[in-house]
Amino acid sequence: MNMLFDILLQKPLPDPWLQGLLFTAFTLHLLFVLFTLGTAMLAIACMLRGHWGGSPRAVRLAVRIAGAFMSHKSLAVVLGVAPLLLIQVTYTIPFFTGVTLFAPYWLAVIGLLIVAFLFFDLLARRLEGHRISSLLLGIIGLLCLLIVPGIFVLILSVSEHPGSWLAIIDQGYRLQGPLLSHWLLRYLHVLGAALVFGAAFHYFFAAEDQEDRRSLLRWLTASTLLQILLGIMLYGLLPIRPAMLVNLCLFAGVAGCVLLLWYLFSMGGRADASLSLRTIVPMAVFILVAMLLVRQLIQNRTYLPFTAALQEKSRSHGREIGAFTRESLDRYQSKLAVVYDNGPTIYAQACAFCHGELADGAGPEAKNLAVPPENVAAVRTTAPYLHQILTQGVPGSAMPYFTFLDRHKLDALADYLNARYQTLGKPGPLPADIPAATLSQAEQVYAQACAPCHGQDGRGTPQSSGYRPPPPDFTAYGLTPQRSFEVISNGYPGTLMPGFGHLPEAVRWGLVRIVGGKRTP
Amino acid sequence: MEFPIFQVPYLGNGMTIALDAVLHVIISHGLAIGAVSMVVCAEYMGQRRSSGAWEVFARDFLGFIVVLTTSVGAMTGVGIWLITSALAPRGIGSLLRVFFWPWFIEWGVFTAEVIIVLIYYYTWRKWTGERKKRHLHLGVGYVVTALCSALLITGILGFMLTPDGWPWHKGLWAAFFNQSYLPQLALRLGIAYELGALFAIGYLVFTRRDRQFRREALAFFGRVGLVSLAVTLLAGAWYFTVVPSAFKTHSLYAVMTSRLSQQPELFRQINLGGAVFLLLFCLLALGRSVISARLLVVPALVVAMLFVAQFERIREFIRGPYLMPGYMYANQVLLEETPLFMKEGMLPRSYWYNATAKKADPLSRGAYLFAQNCAACHTIGGINSIVDRVQGRSADGIYVILGHTQEMVPFMPPFSGTDQERRTMADFLFGLADGSIKPGVPSRFTPLSKGR
Repeated sequence: MNMLFDILLQKPLPDPWLQGLLFTAFTLHLLFVLFTLGTAMLAIACMLRGHWGGSPRAVRLAVRIAGAFMSHKSLAVVLGVAPLLLIQVTYTIPFFTGVTLFAPYWLAVIGLLIVAFLFFDLLARRLEGHRISSLLLGIIGLLCLLIVPGIFVLILSVSEHPGSWLAIIDQGYRLQGPLLSHWLLRYLHVLGAALVFGAAFHYFFAAEDQEDRRSLLRWLTASTLLQILLGIMLYGLLPIRPAMLVNLCLFAGVAGCVLLLWYLFSMGGRADASLSLRTIVPMAVFILVAMLLVRQLIQNRTYLPFTAALQEKSRSHGREIGAFTRESLDRYQSKLAVVYDNGPTIYAQACAFCHGELADGAGPEAKNLAVPPENVAAVRTTAPYLHQILTQGVPGSAMPYFTFLDRHKLDALADYLNARYQTLGKPGPLPADIPAATLSQAEQVYAQACAPCHGQDGRGTPQSSGYRPPPPDFTAYGLTPQRSFEVISNGYPGTLMPGFGHLPEAVRWGLVRIVGGKRTP
Repeated sequence: MEFPIFQVPYLGNGMTIALDAVLHVIISHGLAIGAVSMVVCAEYMGQRRSSGAWEVFARDFLGFIVVLTTSVGAMTGVGIWLITSALAPRGIGSLLRVFFWPWFIEWGVFTAEVIIVLIYYYTWRKWTGERKKRHLHLGVGYVVTALCSALLITGILGFMLTPDGWPWHKGLWAAFFNQSYLPQLALRLGIAYELGALFAIGYLVFTRRDRQFRREALAFFGRVGLVSLAVTLLAGAWYFTVVPSAFKTHSLYAVMTSRLSQQPELFRQINLGGAVFLLLFCLLALGRSVISARLLVVPALVVAMLFVAQFERIREFIRGPYLMPGYMYANQVLLEETPLFMKEGMLPRSYWYNATAKKADPLSRGAYLFAQNCAACHTIGGINSIVDRVQGRSADGIYVILGHTQEMVPFMPPFSGTDQERRTMADFLFGLADGSIKPGVPSRFTPLSKGR
């Protein structure tokens, strides 16, 4: 990468602060994400067991579990604002690259979560009684919900592996190989953690009696075991050799898990015993913090050197464009002063570069065009026809349509042209009279040479209307006699209009008169 | 440049953000601020008049609001950010830095907002007697935090049109409390309460049966609607006095688009008609006409929402070529980069182009230049399709126009590339228009195939 600099890589705070804030905010966010996911999975599991396993008690538990969804999901979303802000500011380039590489998935998060949230809120209200509809709501809602952590894990996994980016594009924006397995295990690890935290939460807040608690304890124990298993596999697939500090945190986290398991098993054996909130909370927080530290430390090892290299390159690019700062600010300021609400401004800005400041068709760009811009000062047309040219352009030439200027603006332009060049006037008198014989000779020439394209009436023919550019409608559009004579004599370059310079001058003037005479008021 | 290309096919980037954002504004302003304020008012009326009907109405209405705001409202809000992260990462990434602290504080405010509204919602039946008064305070607390959110977001939104002195001295305070800050805040609050009153009337007339209460409440919400309509119109007028004329003059086109830009009188008639309709609706509500409220509340809501959409469209459109005024163009090229690219070329400095594309192929060169220069606004074959825009022009005409986009179309950014690159892209666009070039993957602009 050779062009990163600018505001995009400035840090609003020193790195350790940003990372500290990110860690704290992310931990809070993730906690409620896990509660949300766990709540959803457990509610559906209990609902299935209740409705289809013939256990009304399980349905009641499902209702109580699902009731917590609203608060958990609301907090999960809102707490996500800070980590998203901080990760985008701290690890800008890798994170946005991950997002853009998998942009369709990333965008799908919005729709998936809206559906999941609405369905679960509905489900929580009608879980009892409506078997089929609650099954549908629950299953669709859960599927939508469970895809989302997969997408976030995908973006993070990809952004942590800059070496894989080009391969991902080559494979048609898909994950393959070890990164795919890494993603899958990491995703399952999140779901497992959600079950652990969800089961622990509802053990204390949704269970009503010992049997509810026993059932949730089973979930808690099983998912903790699963987490350990998944964790070992994930560790085996780590892309880099973990540093000492990582291993230390990991060891602490694993120790916490073992301790938790021991506690769960010791309680599970006894029928009357129940877990204590005061024991579980510190354990869970300890495990969460230790494991998330592992995550962030590993992330830093790939992100930080990468970002440092980018900043160096960005600085050199910054020096290059620094030479243009003043110039571009001046241009910005002068742009603010130009208001496109009057004819002179619009002409000077939008027309003159082709048609020329003097409207003589000699703007600076005229030399680049095969069909030269018209000498606007010589145009004699009607207001509707001018408006038509301005809103439709001239096909086959550079003349674009100007519908991006509203009617008021185009009218102002037309008024300006008319005031300055009499654009909306008649072609005007010929310099000299033409003898009747010459005129009738010219009539013949018109009928033979001009009418096939321009039509005997001057409106063009069905065939010529398909030419690019098509001939103008003489009944509404003309030129000053002098300019008309020029075009008849030399033709119009780049179009099918040939020059008739070989005809006697008087006949050509006759043609000028005939063409001008087609004009209706 | 820094990020792989992605564009939403057919819909285009702008329309994707717009659809999400307008939905969010309607919910965040209309429900989260406006309607919850109506709930708090209704709860207060219930306490002052010892009226069960007001109380129950407030509670039920809140249930409806909480479900919508915490799902659709919250996700479309985050959605604006998610979408811009994918479609304009450089723009949003830079905005996040300029406004890091407002954004960070906003996180706290949001969280407080959600926590308070959840407590407000869940304790409604539980807190009775003496605690009932405290419950009302909770509602007021929520409204205050929601207003704080509006205070924070308005600064960032206003900046994108009127940055004050920021382009020169890069000062946060000027950027945040910019020229359009106060009028825009007033306008947004006016809209919020207008929508809130209309939502309340809709919920009232379709869910309540008690005639006496219905008429009483209708008059109350009608009064709120009337006052906020007046505030909205006045603030709207105020807002447009502070917008620089260079931008303001494109407002009409922003709404009417190419299709209707030649019938400007429609713009005035429709807006006048909408305002008069809302005025009449509020007056009828004030006159306690339940039947007309039932018949007209949905159209009135639609009209109010269209006003919101129109305002957001104008604001977003007329900021014209800039994503961050004086700093970054809408296509995420920096103002200072354009002269450099014109001198030394855009492609040689594009990491992703050089890393992935076949450099010799003029098609992918053209496609990449289009993606970087134009695709923030133009699609190929979808909304605002470049094919329609260049249709009928000659190849040399396209080349010439590309060199003057910002003079000819004042809300377009300039083409950032060398003369040779401009020629390459002109040929590419000409090929698209005459059908000889067919796009392959529209969202990534590659690979493109040459047709027969």
